[in-house]
Amino acid sequence: MSDAIIGPVVSLYVHVPFCARKCSYCAFYSEPSTGEEINRYVAALTREMEWIQCQRPLQTIFFGGGTPSILNLRQWEEILTTMHRLKLLPAAEFTVECNPATVSLDKARLLHDLGVNRISMGVQSLDEALLDRLGRVHSREMVFKSWDILRKAGFQNLNLDLMFAIPGQTMTVWESTLAEALAMGSEHMSTYEVIYEDDTPLYAQLQAGEVAEDEDLSCAMFEKLVERTVSCGFEQYEIANFARSSIPAGLTATTIPPIPDVPRLACRHNVNYWRGGQFHGLGPGATAYVAGVRSRNWANTQLYCEQIEKGCRAVESSECLPPRRRAGETAAFGLRMPAGWPFATFLEVTGYDLQKEWGDAIQELVAQGWGELSKDSFRLTSEGLRFADSAAQLFLGD
Amino acid sequence: MDAAHIRNFSIIAHIDHGKTTLSDRLLHMTGTIATREMEEQLLDSMDLERERGITIKAHPVTMLYKAKNGETYELNLIDTPGHVDFAYEVSRSLSACEGALLIIDAAQGVEAQTVANVHLAMKQNLTVIPVINKIDLPHANVPQTRQQLEDILAIPAESAIEASAKEGIGIEEILEAIVERIPHPKPTGEVGLQALVFDSYFDTYKGVVSHVRVFNGELKPGMLVKLLHSGKTVEVKEVGSFNPKPYLRDRLQLGETGYITANIKSPQEVKMGDTITDVRSTAGPLPGFKEIHPMVFSGIYPINTSDYEHLKANLGKLQLNDSAFVYQAETSVALGFGFRCGFLGLLHLEIVQERLRREYGMDIIATYPSVIYKVLMTDGTLKQVDNPAFLPEPTYIESIEEPMVKTFVICPNEYIGDMMALISEKRGAIDHTETLDARRVMLTSLLPLNEILIDFHDRIKSITRGYGSMDYEHAGYRQSDMVKLDMLVNAEAVDAFSCIVHRDKAESRGRALAAKLKEVIPRQQYVVAIQAAIGGKVVARETVGALRKDVTAKCYGGDISRKRKLLEKQKEGKKRMKSFGSVNIPQEAFIEVLKA
Ligand SMILES: Nc1nc2c(ncn2[C@@H]2O[C@H](COP(=O)(O)OP(=O)(O)OP(=O)(O)O)[C@@H](O)[C@H]2O)c(=O)[nH]1
Ligand code: SF4
Ligand SMILES: [Mg+2]
Repeated sequence: MSDAIIGPVVSLYVHVPFCARKCSYCAFYSEPSTGEEINRYVAALTREMEWIQCQRPLQTIFFGGGTPSILNLRQWEEILTTMHRLKLLPAAEFTVECNPATVSLDKARLLHDLGVNRISMGVQSLDEALLDRLGRVHSREMVFKSWDILRKAGFQNLNLDLMFAIPGQTMTVWESTLAEALAMGSEHMSTYEVIYEDDTPLYAQLQAGEVAEDEDLSCAMFEKLVERTVSCGFEQYEIANFARSSIPAGLTATTIPPIPDVPRLACRHNVNYWRGGQFHGLGPGATAYVAGVRSRNWANTQLYCEQIEKGCRAVESSECLPPRRRAGETAAFGLRMPAGWPFATFLEVTGYDLQKEWGDAIQELVAQGWGELSKDSFRLTSEGLRFADSAAQLFLGD
Repeated sequence: MDAAHIRNFSIIAHIDHGKTTLSDRLLHMTGTIATREMEEQLLDSMDLERERGITIKAHPVTMLYKAKNGETYELNLIDTPGHVDFAYEVSRSLSACEGALLIIDAAQGVEAQTVANVHLAMKQNLTVIPVINKIDLPHANVPQTRQQLEDILAIPAESAIEASAKEGIGIEEILEAIVERIPHPKPTGEVGLQALVFDSYFDTYKGVVSHVRVFNGELKPGMLVKLLHSGKTVEVKEVGSFNPKPYLRDRLQLGETGYITANIKSPQEVKMGDTITDVRSTAGPLPGFKEIHPMVFSGIYPINTSDYEHLKANLGKLQLNDSAFVYQAETSVALGFGFRCGFLGLLHLEIVQERLRREYGMDIIATYPSVIYKVLMTDGTLKQVDNPAFLPEPTYIESIEEPMVKTFVICPNEYIGDMMALISEKRGAIDHTETLDARRVMLTSLLPLNEILIDFHDRIKSITRGYGSMDYEHAGYRQSDMVKLDMLVNAEAVDAFSCIVHRDKAESRGRALAAKLKEVIPRQQYVVAIQAAIGGKVVARETVGALRKDVTAKCYGGDISRKRKLLEKQKEGKKRMKSFGSVNIPQEAFIEVLKA
């Protein structure tokens, strides 16, 4: 009972490893670069695209970074036409991350016309002082301006990224950022708590005692977030992700079937991650999960390009867990979604019976008030979601 | 080698004055090791010794030296540790020698353990060769150091050799002095073999390897020999010396130093200071040396109860190479099954714990260190208590006596005031003050041992900006008003945190401990109350607020692998915490509390 039914890959992640400047908290692979280097990257990327085996067209595509919107019109055109030629497009959900400082109407229109139907905008904060502290290249004003441009270009499915527990961020500042962001009327909102990653300037500041973590405040901010978004008509479908259920008139991204208990405008691409689905990853530093193997490309653009130009794959490392541990991992991450795991879905994805294999963990969580067991599914309660990391540990390891 | 061409000597000094560095030089100069094999601190073979830059075990080495008179001599050197906790290693080593090199740092001058070690050497009638080391340092003060030799140690100033172990200055002169000044070994006058066992270590293949000094006769493989103290008869398998790695020899003759193996499986069978004789002879025992007794006790417990047997086996292995370390089984309400362990001092305790963690990969918890109290009960009986958990109820106690030490602190004049304040803070009394020279004094005082255990030495160093030093000797027992301080976590007493303290200090100590515990106990899913209590009366309390969430609000495709590893690691970490009722206390808490 361990062979999951592995179908064709339906998701694709593309990493664009360039940023105008490094943000103080950022541990993603990205670096500033010249137009020449980006051209070389685009050539390598389109070549790497030719090699993938997947369902055509794909269901979900996500261009993340780095700053995908830093690519110029010509570079975008080349990538998107290649994808059409390879029949990867049109995808039901095609997201591109944008930095508010790099959005122009021409670029937005081009993306929209060539099949991108969802934009994720990295706002992080609407407080100038905090934007500064985070080392973001954009201002408050640019957020509002880019927003209008995107709507004007025809995008009807927009996400806003917000951060909380930023050093120096008070509850009042967070509430007003939230209120302003909600007033913008996005279809989706994803948030995250500042994480002090090794090797980032922010981490160094923490070590030096220049900033401090305030657990109580960040918890209160998280509670405020859930309360405010839900009252504005969003549904929390993952710990830090919120989406609307109603589809705006004219949005065509409805070709993939709805997922029970998950709002219609949830990011399908991310749901695929949390539910243990397969995905390809292209570009430097991109990760992939195909046929039970997690792999990662070299997080070094030059090396990546050299490999691809030689006709070699640019994989730096890969990892294949034994089936049961892999299923445990899938269980753990899927529980980040309030919808939890329908047992049938879990069996289909992993080949394991969740209730049978992790009965003890489920019992423990239920007893603690963190889990809720029904006839055909298991989920975390709202209390349990706040302790999702502790809960996850019960499913991980041997 | 005939006895006339043998010299046995130790190197003694205050900590860090350069014993090990000088030993390296001597090895190099005599060609015992080639330059290319030279690594610094060659004789410090344990990782821990290298890392901390201190010598823990005494190390014997045999060198051949061609002197200026054209003759070749066998020089047996024993490098010794400088830290007070290991003073017994020094006296053991000295008993195998006729002479000692006394190293004095030219920039630091005579310090507390210089004095203590010279007294040890004098007591054993050894020839002392003073070496003023580190003359290359810009602030070296040779004339003053010479003066101190005369004034403080009564050693003729002109007998000192100036050297720099680091720069290789004065090394040949030292070697010549060893040959000329140190007397060669002489027979004891008895008939047949007499060899002193002055150290041992355990080798998995050979069993116990005993370090010996032959005082009379000779030792050869195949001989049947008797260990006089234990009465055991064994056949000698191997004899050899160190260069510094062990090498075989066909015999060890009168005056020589080396090792023997005899298929001895248990180190308990070889007592330090025992005399080895030929079974056929009637030669008597050598003077031997005073047995040392552990002064500081602490419980060591496995984090995972299933590791108990494993821990027991590893403690056994550690004891093989550390005869000063003792242990016996005990149980704790909070910690389950473990061992009561005895140490020479706090450094010794730290080292044993660190070796268990690192060399043996054990997850352990150590309880707050305690000295041995003598408790006079109301029924007239006397109880020895080395574990606070076993201190009887106050109503049954007539009085308590605690062990005292006589300490010798050398410090620059300008810090006398602060030093006196420290000594009285530690419940000590100054017995007398001696002026050593224009700049420094020696304070002799009487203090309770339990007060100098934790941070006394560090405090001296910080008060005197590194220029102070201290040494101590045991000075019997004294009646004191001692009480038991208990720490309660969610109303449950954690016996591992209990300690016996003087009544006047109990409350402040309780507050400090509670505050420290608040810092190191991670937030849990419920509120944790920490209390300090003396005889049931709560004197301090702290609260660790409940954890309100445990989730990182960010997790996408690229993070899954990394995040999974992180969570797996945290899960492992939780396994390594000890739970008391429903409260998890991490290992570090037990270590941190030691320092509170
Ligand atoms: N400048 C200078 N430094 C020296 C000299 N001899 C030793 N040192 C340094 O002094 C420090 C202590 O030297 P060790 O040889 O470890 O001293 P030790 O006496 O063996 O120390 P313990 O075994 O811990 O008592 C080291 O950093 C040496 O490099 C010297 O002649 N000149
Ligand atoms: S824009 Fe995004 S990827 Fe680039 S440095 Fe900032 S956080 Fe990192
Ligand atoms: Mg040394």
